[in-house]
Formats: sequence, C-alpha cells, structure tokens
Amino acid sequence: MIDLHGFGNQLLQGAVITVELAFASLIVGLILGLLGASAKLSSIKALQWIANAYTTIIRGIPELLTVLIIYFGATSVLMSVASLFGYEEYIEIGPFVAGVTALGLTFGAYATEVFRGALQSIPKGQHEAAVALGMGNVRKFYRIILPQVWRMALPGLGNLFLVLLKDTALVSVVGLDDIMRKASIAVSSTKEPFLFYSAAACMYLILTIISMVAVHYMEKKASRGIKRT
Amino acid sequence: MSKVPALELNDIHKTFGDVEVLKGISLKAYDGDVISILGSSGSGKSTFLRCINMLENPTKGEIIFNGEPLSLKPGETDLVAANMKQLTQMRQQIGFVFQSFNLWPHMTILENVMEGPANVLKRPKNEVKAYAEHLLNKVGIADKKDMYPSQLSGGQQQRVAIARTLAMDPQVILFDEPTSALDPELVGEVLGVMRNLADEGRTMLIVTHEMNFAREVSSEVVFLHQGLVEEKGTPTQVFENPQSERCKGFLSSTF
Ligand SMILES: Nc1ncnc2c1ncn2[C@@H]1O[C@H](COP(=O)(O)OP(=O)(O)O)[C@@H](O)[C@H]1O
Ligand SMILES: [Mg+2]
Repeated sequence: MIDLHGFGNQLLQGAVITVELAFASLIVGLILGLLGASAKLSSIKALQWIANAYTTIIRGIPELLTVLIIYFGATSVLMSVASLFGYEEYIEIGPFVAGVTALGLTFGAYATEVFRGALQSIPKGQHEAAVALGMGNVRKFYRIILPQVWRMALPGLGNLFLVLLKDTALVSVVGLDDIMRKASIAVSSTKEPFLFYSAAACMYLILTIISMVAVHYMEKKASRGIKRT
Repeated sequence: MSKVPALELNDIHKTFGDVEVLKGISLKAYDGDVISILGSSGSGKSTFLRCINMLENPTKGEIIFNGEPLSLKPGETDLVAANMKQLTQMRQQIGFVFQSFNLWPHMTILENVMEGPANVLKRPKNEVKAYAEHLLNKVGIADKKDMYPSQLSGGQQQRVAIARTLAMDPQVILFDEPTSALDPELVGEVLGVMRNLADEGRTMLIVTHEMNFAREVSSEVVFLHQGLVEEKGTPTQVFENPQSERCKGFLSSTF
C-alpha cells in the first residue's frame, strides 16, 4: 500500500470540498445558463444586451483571474456598499462562496450557448400544441420545453461539467481546502511532490470517471422515446 | 328563439409584413356544424384557422365564442388578447389538430393525452387516466398507450393527437389539414376517426383537401381564394353547382 504519511484523510476531506464546490457551482451555473439563454432569445433588447455582455466578459477572462477578481473584488465592493449604510466592520466572503460565484458565472456563460442552441432547436409546433390546449407559459416551459431542452443540452453540459470539475482546483489559490490545496500542504511538509500530486491527479480522474458514467445514464434516461426502437 | 353560434368570426383580417393574407373573412359555426374549408395552397386557410384561437394574431376582426367576444387590443403590428385569462379559457374549449401532429416526444402516448386534463384542467389523475384510455380505445390506439410517439406511424400519431384534443372536452375542434402529412394508405384511418366525431355531433372546422370526405361529412363548405370567401354553401350547392369560376376550376382540378 502506498504510504501517504498520514495525509490520506486530509486528501479525502479535500475531495469532499471539491465535490461540494463543483455541485454548488453547477447549480448556480445551470440557472444562469437558462436565464442567459432566455435573455438572448427574448425580444427585449436590453436583456439581449446584458446576456451578451455577460457571456463576452466571462468567456474573455481566464478563469483564474475571475476567481481572484471575485474573491478580492467582492470584499471591497461589499465593504463600500456596507459603509454607505454606516457599517464599518471588515466583511469577507469566504473562498467557498467566491469559488461558487466565479465558477458558477463561468459555467453559466458557456451553458448559455448550449441552452440557446437547444431552445432554438425545439420546433414551433411543440409550443403551439401546448398553447392550443390553453397551457400557460410557465407550465409549458417546465412540462414541454425544459425536458426536451435538457435532453439536447445534456451532452454539452456534461462536457462543461468535466471542465468545471478541474477548474475547482483554481480556487485553492484563495485558500479553499480542496484536493489541490491539501496536496500542496502535504508536499510542503513531506517534500514528496510526485507522490502527492499523483495522488491528487488520481482523485480528479476518479471524480471525472464517475461524472462521465452519471452523465451517460442521464442521457440514456432523457432520450427515452426519442430514438425509434 | 334564435340560437347563439358556438363560434362566430367577423371580418378577420391578417397582414404579414405588407402582404394582406386575410382580407375580411366571416363565418358562423353552430353546435353540431361541420364546416369544411377548401382552397388552393396559399389561399389563407391555415392562417384563418390559426387566427381563431390566436396562434396567429389577426390585424382586425372579431372572435366571438358562445356569444362572448374575445377582448382584443392593438399590439405592435396586430391585435393581441386584452385578457390572457379569457383567451386561455377559450383555448381550453377549442381544440386544434395540426397537420404535423405535434405530439410531445418525451411523453408516452397516454401521457400526451393526459397532459391537458390532468395538468391544465387539473382534473383528478385517476379519472383522467380512465378517460384517456377510453379515448385511445375510441381512436383505436389503446394497445400503444405506453409507447412513445416516435414508435408510431403518422396515422397513429394523428389519431393520438385527436385523442389529446378530445381529452379536453372541447366544444369546437379545428383541424388544419390533418391528413396532408400522411402516406396515402394512412389517410383513411384518420378520416374514419373524424367521421365518427362528425356523427357524434361534434362541432368542427376542417381545412382539408379530401374532397369526398368534405362532401360527405360537412354541413357547410367554404371555399377561400386569396384571403376571401369566394363561395360557400351546402356540400351539394358547392360541389354540384358552384357559382364562382374559380371554385369550379379548383374542384375540377382536384377531382
Ligand atoms: N408566418 C408567416 N409569415 C409570413 N407569411 C406567412 C406566414 N404564414 C403564412 N404566410 C403567407 O400567408 C399566405 C397564406 O398562407 P396559409 O394560411 O398557410 O395558406 P394555406 O393554409 O391556405 O395554404 C401564404 O402566402 C403564406 O406564404
Ligand atoms: Mg395550410
């Protein structure tokens, strides 16, 4: 058995944080992606403009910088807002919240394009069949449109999730105790970089494989009835 | 005692860009009427039918359902519903059957039929299920209820679409060329279902190119030409003795 000098437990704790960060960012990102796609396809010019600005800015900045800007920027923004209300204590958003914000924004920007393509590919007749029954817009969206969009978007979203999973490592630079940071700590105290970076790599690989299998099953489930059998 | 028409359309106009596709069409349907709408491609039949339940917004005109006018207000380029709730309720009582079926591919046949009554009308699920199964039986698809639309032939899909519409218990059903997307050998099964509905006394407006069918089931036949009613009357009048040259020409070219 490989000797992790007692750091094995630490790495596992890091893995839990990594998974939590990835899922929280995924949820934020999916919501932002749906909103972004709806805004881009809406007839309201202002919404289109906001969504375009959002995806352009986020996709134009390296993820590492997004993490740093959110972590340090959010603190000063929050503090200056708070001081307007006469609150002068030091406020800090933790690395986890900053990470979720940065990675959620990033995932959302790319997911906007995935969702937009999927929304556009739903034939007009699918909407009309619902409207003609007297179905309201909200129900039409989640009963008729969303399940079909989900099926179309899943492969693209699955891909984005794999990227997200590895981008979580960036959040270690602002001190989040994820796999990456735990590995770095272990390296500095044991002077065994190869061992601990390899162990970290294995953990990301395992998480990736689990995600791929999960996405595969979700794709299978979502495409029930689509292919002629 | 004068009866109130189930559906009354007054002077319906529709413009796309600067092309006037409907130039003032009026029509009354009383309970039990089966009105066939004929006309060559591009004459405005679909647009007219779609204006009735506001899948397309008319630019001018009046839609009266059971004596109650649908409130409309001017939008950017055409009239829009002034009261969404009223429009939604009217749509729940006016069925629409599409040329391309438009079944929902992610739902089974049974789920497609149950969706409206269960989730729009919010009727109890067990009643809805029994009713949906009864309707599927009626259109001859009972054995396929757990399949998905993509597993059915076009004729079967259209019969499911008809059952989906019937599940709402609509007072009027609009059909837009329900057999035009079908292989010729599948047309008969759909027309058979529609013939039964006509025999039951259902109120229907049918855009169709099936002349024999229109002649047999209709109480009234309307011939559209370039966005206007060119000829209307009983099937006998229109088919045996059309007054307009265009209608004569159209009929002789299709028979
Ligand atoms: N959404 C639309 N935008 C622009 N023109 C349209 C649209 N829908 C229909 N038209 C035009 O309106 C005319 C009537 O079309 P339609 O009602 O579909 O005729 P029909 O059903 O009798 O074949 C056609 O010239 C068609 O090109
Ligand atoms: Mg048509």
